[in-house]
Amino acid sequence: MLTHHWPKPENPSRVLVLGGGGFLGRAVRAALAEAGILTVAPTRSELDLAADHAGERAAALLQATDAVLMLAALTPDKGRGLDPFMQNMRMAAAACAAMQKVRPAHVVYVSSDAVYPIDTARITEETGAQPADLYGVMHLAREVMAKTEVQAPVAVLRPTLVYGADDPHNSYGPNRLRRMARKDARITLFGQGEEMRDHILVDDVAELIRLTLCHRSSGTLNLATGRSISYADLARKVAGLFEGRVDIAGTPRQSPVKHRHFDVVALHKAFPAFTFTPLEAGLAKAHREMLEQP
Amino acid sequence: MTRPTIGFAGMTHLGIVSATAAAARGFPVVAFDTDPVQIAALAAGELPIVEPGLPQLLLHHRERVSFTTTPAHLRACAVVYVATDVPVDQTGASDLQPVRDLTELVAGNLAGETTLVILSQVPPGFTRGLGRPEAHTFYQVETLVFGRAVERALEPERFIVGCGDPAATLPGPLAEYLEAFGCPILHMRYESAELAKISINTCLVASITAANTLAELCEHIGADWSEIVPALRLDRRIGPHAYLTPGLGLGGGNLERDLETVCRLADANGTDAGVVRAWTANSAHRRDWALTQIHERVVPWIEEPVLAVLGLAYKENTASTKNSPALALLTALAPFVVRAYDPVVMPQPEFHPRLVAAPSALEACTGADAVVLMTPWPEFRELRPDTIAARLRRRTVIDPHRLLDGPACRAAGLDHVTLGYPLPRTAA
Repeated sequence: MLTHHWPKPENPSRVLVLGGGGFLGRAVRAALAEAGILTVAPTRSELDLAADHAGERAAALLQATDAVLMLAALTPDKGRGLDPFMQNMRMAAAACAAMQKVRPAHVVYVSSDAVYPIDTARITEETGAQPADLYGVMHLAREVMAKTEVQAPVAVLRPTLVYGADDPHNSYGPNRLRRMARKDARITLFGQGEEMRDHILVDDVAELIRLTLCHRSSGTLNLATGRSISYADLARKVAGLFEGRVDIAGTPRQSPVKHRHFDVVALHKAFPAFTFTPLEAGLAKAHREMLEQP
Repeated sequence: MTRPTIGFAGMTHLGIVSATAAAARGFPVVAFDTDPVQIAALAAGELPIVEPGLPQLLLHHRERVSFTTTPAHLRACAVVYVATDVPVDQTGASDLQPVRDLTELVAGNLAGETTLVILSQVPPGFTRGLGRPEAHTFYQVETLVFGRAVERALEPERFIVGCGDPAATLPGPLAEYLEAFGCPILHMRYESAELAKISINTCLVASITAANTLAELCEHIGADWSEIVPALRLDRRIGPHAYLTPGLGLGGGNLERDLETVCRLADANGTDAGVVRAWTANSAHRRDWALTQIHERVVPWIEEPVLAVLGLAYKENTASTKNSPALALLTALAPFVVRAYDPVVMPQPEFHPRLVAAPSALEACTGADAVVLMTPWPEFRELRPDTIAARLRRRTVIDPHRLLDGPACRAAGLDHVTLGYPLPRTAA
């Protein structure tokens, strides 16, 4: 549940975006720019948060009136082992060190639904965090670091599976299914694609982050649509966007079916006028943008 | 034979109804409160609460009731009930100081042999903790139900009386008073009686939560909970009067207070209250059902939607808005225009920043994109779906309590969304 310190939204004076060069970072920066919000987004070469003395360099970029948007993280496609875990922790430690030196006006930490237990089918913000791997542990630890080590209002946002044409990752979701269909005219599912999952368009995540910044919100909020769909149905929707035939094939199931649904009442209460892009429209947009890419 | 005078201290909902019922059973009554405005209003026949049948009952037996702000007048009583409210804080913890203060005030004005009975809702351990003489001090379980309080006060199912020594007989005046109602009287030790009240509510919550959980499932798998309920009522282990009607969580506050008390006691004693916490979580989840439906069916499809909300009280036949699902809904609809109507509760600006008070249910519907029937007032059952359809701009009717006839709604072209019934497809 979020608490809005600015019930009436207004643009923050400036947002320091850490990790602004990634898939989500680019979308957020575009949304903030469109809203007329000034951003500072150092590139990896300008500020490597995992490097020595990164905290001091980050502090030099930070102003006390800034909101800090922390997106920087090695994503699971870089591995879920100890090395990326330690690098991610170093990045968070550097960000915290910077914010201890120059106390910002607001912090938005973008976490992940990986903090939740994998065998809980219905998730709310009240669901106890119980990560199953180091990636989830990393996000949970970074959440706690932000809340305890930084003297500023902190919003923790936990997005579920984010999709969009620009996503360079190839995790099991609309992006991978679309790429499989384009490459081989065939989508291969785990089992028969029974698992229910919630997929959120990157543009919607970006807009929700903008709203969080403009309300100077604190607390924890899941970023999900509240509408889960099976991978089998998702595959059919993705396949339907291609002009040619796309086969959908199942595989022998290796693990039990686990579903995930989100109860998004807290999001509706936080941002009552916000509406999600319907999945069909979001998939069509991502498909169109994929075709436009060189 | 002269009947003993019965006193009631604290002119709360419980105190007023209980005092009136005592008068109706033929006992002289002293009705005491420290608030002179409250007492003056009651003496003038102005009731601060809404309860079906209460005004007529009080009027009929008015000559037996003496309203007073003078505690010394309680000296005339053989039995005095302490019936003040026990407020709870945001965590659900009871603030027992008001009942302690009133008990002390009352006790200081009683004759030596007068029986003092705690009727307020107190947790286990409270009555013995007062340290009063056990032979003259009792706890009695109240089973007030808002909207049905008169019926239940006049025809109680049983009396549950907590005693210092459960083997001892009740004092004569108290026994005479209770026996006048012609129902079983169960004696037990203080702590058992205090926990009995909580036990009753806990069992009710178990039924309500089972109904809400299964009704939600019905909405998604094509089943109709109203078809299942008769089968459950014919099962002797469940029974014809079981609480099986799905609703928007628990509401009202008293049930939640008792669940919180169970959790606190369990935590303090290391016993398991996991299921009780699950009930509380389910209540919060179902409370937001209407909001979820609005975000599913209205907000994404209509720019600047106008919503009609019928009912603001937490339940029918009461003016109470404490823990009202309707008010909780309004706080989550701040950006939208809401046209509201309630037969008793006047819409207030603090309920919602863009609230329009409508003079009738149909006026509230006029020009709205959707109507939400939040309180099951009897008059809403009389609304004709075709008339509603003619007033609405669009066709969504969110009717959690199934006040309207579903087939008639569908015949009128309305999307009728109700608890425990398969949800209609979302209108794009």
